[in-house]
Amino acid sequence: MAEIEEKLKNYRTAPFDARFPNTNQTRNCYQNYLDFHRCTKSLTNKGLDVAPCEWYRRVYKSLCPISWVDKWDTQREEGIFPGRI
Amino acid sequence: MLSVMTKQLRTHPALIPLFVFIAGGCAMSAAYLARLALRSPDVCWDKTNNPEPWNKLEPTFQYKFIAGNVDYSKLKKEGPDF
Repeated sequence: MAEIEEKLKNYRTAPFDARFPNTNQTRNCYQNYLDFHRCTKSLTNKGLDVAPCEWYRRVYKSLCPISWVDKWDTQREEGIFPGRI
Repeated sequence: MLSVMTKQLRTHPALIPLFVFIAGGCAMSAAYLARLALRSPDVCWDKTNNPEPWNKLEPTFQYKFIAGNVDYSKLKKEGPDF
C-alpha cells in the first residue's frame, strides 16, 4: 500500500508495459480503463479501500483520448458498455 | 489442374525447381500465419475460457526480437493486484 502511494506521488506518465510494446497503444488504454473499473468493483465488494486502483486511473488518463473515456463512461451509465467489468 | 501440371513437368523437367520454390514459399507463408494465429499473445480465440491472453504474460516478457534500450530483466508489474 505504501509503495503504491510512493509510485503515485512520483507518477509522471504511463510506464512501459511489456504486454503492449508497439506503437499502437489502444489496447493499453482500454486494458487500464477496464482494470480500473474491475479493481474498484472487486475491492468495494470485498469491503477494502479502493485507493490502490488510482494507479490504473492515472495510467488510462495519461493514455486514452478524452472522447473515448467520455464515450465509455456514458456507455457504462446506460448499461451498454461492451467490455466485461 | 494437377494433370496439366504433370504433363508440363514431363515435357519440360526444368520447371521442377519452379514448383518446388513456389510450394516452399506457400508453405512458409502458411506456417507464419498459423504461428501468428496460434502463438501470438494478441490473438483471442476463446472468449469464455481464455478472454485476455495478453494478461498472462509476465512483465519481463520480450515480445520484440531485438530489445532497443529496454532492460527486460528489470521490469516488474506496475499496477496493484485486485
